[in-house]
Amino acid sequence: MLAYAIKRIFVLIPTLLAASLLVFVFIHLIPGDPAAVLLGDTATPEEVAQLTREMGLDRPLYTQFFLWLGNFLQGDLGTSIFFQEPVLSVIADGAETSILLAVMTMFWIVIFGVPIGVVSATRHGTWIDQLSSGGAMFAASIPTFWLGLYLILIFSVTLGWLPSSGFPSLSDEGGLTNLRYLLLPSLTLAAPNAALIIRLVRASMLDVQREDHVRTARAKGLHPLRVAYAHVFRNALIAVAAAFGFTFAALVSEAVVTETVFSLPGVGRLVVQSILRRDYPVIQGVILVIVILYMVTNLLVDLAYAWLDPRVSLK
Amino acid sequence: MNALALFNPFSGRRLAFLGLVWLGFILICALAAPLLAPFDPLAIAPVDRLSEPGGSYWFGTDNFGRDTLSRCIYGARMALIIGLGTVAVSLTAGSLIGMLSAYFTRLGHVLMRVIDVLMAFPALLLALVLMTLLERSIANTIIVIGIVYTTTTARILFGMTLKLKSEVFVEAAVCSGAGHCSVLFRHILPNLISPLLVQASFIFAFAQLQAAALDFLGLGLPPEIPSWGNMLSESRIYVTRAPWLLIFPGILIIFSVFSMNLVGDALRDSIDPRFKDDIAGV
Repeated sequence: MLAYAIKRIFVLIPTLLAASLLVFVFIHLIPGDPAAVLLGDTATPEEVAQLTREMGLDRPLYTQFFLWLGNFLQGDLGTSIFFQEPVLSVIADGAETSILLAVMTMFWIVIFGVPIGVVSATRHGTWIDQLSSGGAMFAASIPTFWLGLYLILIFSVTLGWLPSSGFPSLSDEGGLTNLRYLLLPSLTLAAPNAALIIRLVRASMLDVQREDHVRTARAKGLHPLRVAYAHVFRNALIAVAAAFGFTFAALVSEAVVTETVFSLPGVGRLVVQSILRRDYPVIQGVILVIVILYMVTNLLVDLAYAWLDPRVSLK
Repeated sequence: MNALALFNPFSGRRLAFLGLVWLGFILICALAAPLLAPFDPLAIAPVDRLSEPGGSYWFGTDNFGRDTLSRCIYGARMALIIGLGTVAVSLTAGSLIGMLSAYFTRLGHVLMRVIDVLMAFPALLLALVLMTLLERSIANTIIVIGIVYTTTTARILFGMTLKLKSEVFVEAAVCSGAGHCSVLFRHILPNLISPLLVQASFIFAFAQLQAAALDFLGLGLPPEIPSWGNMLSESRIYVTRAPWLLIFPGILIIFSVFSMNLVGDALRDSIDPRFKDDIAGV
């Protein structure tokens, strides 16, 4: 297990380096002088010349990359053109909203996804199964932003039950009740992902049901519910755990859209607005942070997977 | 092969068959758009702006008085172009990369690492970053979404080719003196056609969702093009006054994606069991 973990970490490092190289190259692919691009339209030639020197843009590309990487490792991601603030603090401002949104979304995914998937598998082939797997596929076919707009139309505009946009911090007036601002966004974000989990739980439970140890458990006369829980469900969860890395990526992608629909001050909307504002240092910084988070999540998921199912690390 | 055999995957699957029928309907709309659309999708009629569905405007009109029904019909054209374009880009590039990587091991070490790096970016994020470097246009939208699905296709094809490479018939072809090209394209590729078809149907479905999301964020097709995503994006501010602007394009996207997923599912269940676990889908 330890050997497996070390091996995985060593595989991760070159991929991380390559991914950061890609993010670094991004700024050089934009037409124009990178220093001028980074400073925005209002920069004077003197400022451009100064940044060129500071960033070492007159030096070879590989030196620039290592300089940039060195700065990044010290927490310096550059300065936002729009906010005139360090990129890291701009990202940190959006972190609360995005993290809370992700946590609430995961909550819905587990609450809805797992039980429906289990019922679907245990009632395999019946109308309940057809309804829930068909419904799950339908939910995955709905564009996130459309669902969000519709929920706003129903619950905010027509019924007036929930706020339609924005999110004041939990430390602001209202405290925990401010979470109601995230109710509709988190449900919107959860729908397509819960759909995936439903289908995954169902598929992996059906797989496990065919295995020998389940037949043995049935043959020795265990109660069907006990077989379903202790022998099938718990083993099926291993495959589901492995899918959480994938869910993370889906959450990030769809959070970009959802935060825009609900005008939430999160990192996802920051990406879109920075792209529209051509605030390149922020785009670069956010993308790099997300990619690192994603890769670390994948690593943790793989390690958890190997720990839950020792057969993995032996392969 | 009998032409009717194509429908075998749909026997006993009424919902998937209905999906196929819906897709046929969308195809007809796309091909015959100028004949079917009652109005010019771009014609502005300020007097009739935001008219409710009914009268001569079956689906109502938008903020500029443009006919929603005509725009929906022309939107089918965009959906088809984006879907087919993305499938063409990602399947061509993805299968070439995947097959060559599996066949030539050394090349594979390099190419598959590149794919790994691209896969480190969540799908929509990769598309967004690429879009910032490019102008908003139909071709660029296709290329960007195509690149995103090239990575997954390459990964899947890599696995499948590896499996096929160790099969006896491939060894036999090599022994009988077949060249690399002949082995890859005459012996291995034909075995990959049906899984590729399944993959194509899922990519077609996902491409619709990604394109709609890009349109919505203002980073997809140019705003003047009547695509379902652009229609939804524009209707956003009029949601309370004109909810029909949200309903029709939305339903078209949902039904089309759902139908494509159903068709993909039915095809997947009917293909070679060797590859069943490899293919992704909803």
